Amino acid sequence: MLQVRELTKAYGEIIALRGVSMNVHKGQLLGFLGPNGAGKTTTMRSVFGLVEPDSGEVLWNGDPIAAKDRLGFGYMPEERGLYPRMRNLEQVAYFGMLHGMSRQAAYLEAGRWLAEFGLADRAEGRLEELSHGNQQRLQLAAALVHSPELLVLDEPFAGLDPVGVGAMGEILAAQAAAGTAVVFSSHQLDLVEDLCDDVVIINEGAVALAGAVRELRTGAAHRHVTVEVRDGDPGWVQAVPQAAVLRRDGDRVLLDVSNGIQLDALLAAAQAAGEVVEFSYEPPSLNEVFLDAVGGS
Amino acid sequence: MNDWRTLLLVGRRDFVERLKSRAFQISTALTIVLVLAAVVLPQLFDNGPNEWEVGVVGIDPSQLEITMQALQASNDAVAVNVRTAVSRDDVIVLLEDGEIDVAVVRGEGVIAGDGTSRALSTLAAAAVTAVELTSRAEQLGLSPEQVAGLLGIEQPPIRSIGGDEEPDDRGAETLALFATILLFVSIVTYGQWILIGVIEEKSNRVVEVVVGTVSPRTLLTGKVFGIGLLGLIQLVVIAIVAFAALRVTGAGDLPDTTGAVVLASAFWFLGGFAFYATAYAAAGALVSRQEEAQNAAFPLTLVLMAAYFVATFSISGDNPVIRVASLLPPFAPMTMPLQIALGRASTTEILISSALMVLGVYFLLRVAARIYRGGILRSGGKIRINEAWRSAEGR
Repeated sequence: MLQVRELTKAYGEIIALRGVSMNVHKGQLLGFLGPNGAGKTTTMRSVFGLVEPDSGEVLWNGDPIAAKDRLGFGYMPEERGLYPRMRNLEQVAYFGMLHGMSRQAAYLEAGRWLAEFGLADRAEGRLEELSHGNQQRLQLAAALVHSPELLVLDEPFAGLDPVGVGAMGEILAAQAAAGTAVVFSSHQLDLVEDLCDDVVIINEGAVALAGAVRELRTGAAHRHVTVEVRDGDPGWVQAVPQAAVLRRDGDRVLLDVSNGIQLDALLAAAQAAGEVVEFSYEPPSLNEVFLDAVGGS
Repeated sequence: MNDWRTLLLVGRRDFVERLKSRAFQISTALTIVLVLAAVVLPQLFDNGPNEWEVGVVGIDPSQLEITMQALQASNDAVAVNVRTAVSRDDVIVLLEDGEIDVAVVRGEGVIAGDGTSRALSTLAAAAVTAVELTSRAEQLGLSPEQVAGLLGIEQPPIRSIGGDEEPDDRGAETLALFATILLFVSIVTYGQWILIGVIEEKSNRVVEVVVGTVSPRTLLTGKVFGIGLLGLIQLVVIAIVAFAALRVTGAGDLPDTTGAVVLASAFWFLGGFAFYATAYAAAGALVSRQEEAQNAAFPLTLVLMAAYFVATFSISGDNPVIRVASLLPPFAPMTMPLQIALGRASTTEILISSALMVLGVYFLLRVAARIYRGGILRSGGKIRINEAWRSAEGR
């Protein structure tokens, strides 16, 4: 288990971390979310000793992380980096060997991952000849080749198209299902809220929210109701005192209501106005929960 | 996993990737061609004619021709062709027109033209003397055998107090210059490789992934080791090609000190390379883009140039500057091999210089490794040395 405890870090006047804590268990897929500049990258880099925190500690299985522990970690930094002119198979195998694999095993696994990512025919090509998406895949292969116990990915979805996002999500979920502790960062909360069961959301160097996505959303004090009333009097909504209109799109309105609202009363009011063609009730999105928590709008 | 395995992995990658790069292959091939050209071309154009034309007035041409041939050292003999001119004026015209290389006039002596080599005029004068000696000896009633015996006296060899033959200063100087140039060029070149390699790793961020697993010190040492080994191999190949070419063409006899100079050059190459390579690596870690590479490396290149110029200016004569410079680590890699090649360095000086070099490398490895460690993970603009030094604290 990875434990990040009370990390603080300041760069001169700028305070990057103000006591960030989080745990990542084996088999867990944890989303580490927050706006740009919240301190996600600094936290992740501290796991690899790339940042020396001013205080706090990072533990692996209860002990401070040693160099040999990091051999079992996989890391994909935010700014991707591989050797541009190295041959692809060789490059992935090199990172396997750096993580302690034998030459033979490293080449075997590297070949397997290239095949997995559909890059088998590019084994002898070079990184610089690959498309952006394929470079991303190779970077991921380099982080996965040694079957890490802990996988840390900084913004793995950045720059991917929806298909790429889906594929990346599947790979991460599969890694977690195989017992790897997986943590990834993202500033696009809406993109990842369906992907992971658990999230830690940080803002301005401190944890704003942490827990299961589902509980965070359902624990919110308000809900969203989408109602479409065909040919009704648009003024029907004003008759419902607890509902605030967030958005109106023709006959369709998105309402923000408090958690304990009488739904049947709301539905009755809508039906009284006209034919109800849509009526949905759901907790707010992760993004909204987050904005509530940090007092944004 | 132990650090050695990682160090070898890192070193091997830098070695192999560099070896496979087109730029390396082209530069190696080009250097070999240049070295071959430097050895072979002077043979083709510069090394004088393969025949000397001599004009004589009042002297038996055939006898002079035979004598001039006989007086030459056999291994680099030049064919001599002697022809008779009618008068002194005629022979002068021939000399001025370049028809002949030297003129010999009875009663006057040897007349050299503008382009006449010292060796030729000396030879001609000696031959005239020998011909005259022969005829006088015959007049004195000596038998041809007695005359031959008289002329057969070999000039005694000239030896130095060391017991060797006369020290060939020209050969030693050439060798010293060759070693100095090679050391300078290779340390600068391989230092640049390190510099570019470090900046490349930093600017494309691969260093983040590597340093997550490998300690910066191991990465630095492995890189210096891998590129240094490749450089040494390239240097040895070039030296072998050069020496082989010298042997085959007979362009110059190698001085007896050659072995010692090669050994000294190898030692100071390793020391100098380790010294400058770590310094270049530290310089590279302080900048983020390739365009800043030369600025970062400028102070180092300046020191290297200073050492090089001290060395080359001191070839013609010993002086206190090079004596001191050859003891100090930043300069010794280029100045000490020169002093050894020219036989100027005492054993004590060599020992002091070697010891200081080893100490210097050890010291700089620690300092540069720390600056490298502090600088390599920081991006965005140029980092000051003291910032890098401080940010490496505790890592």
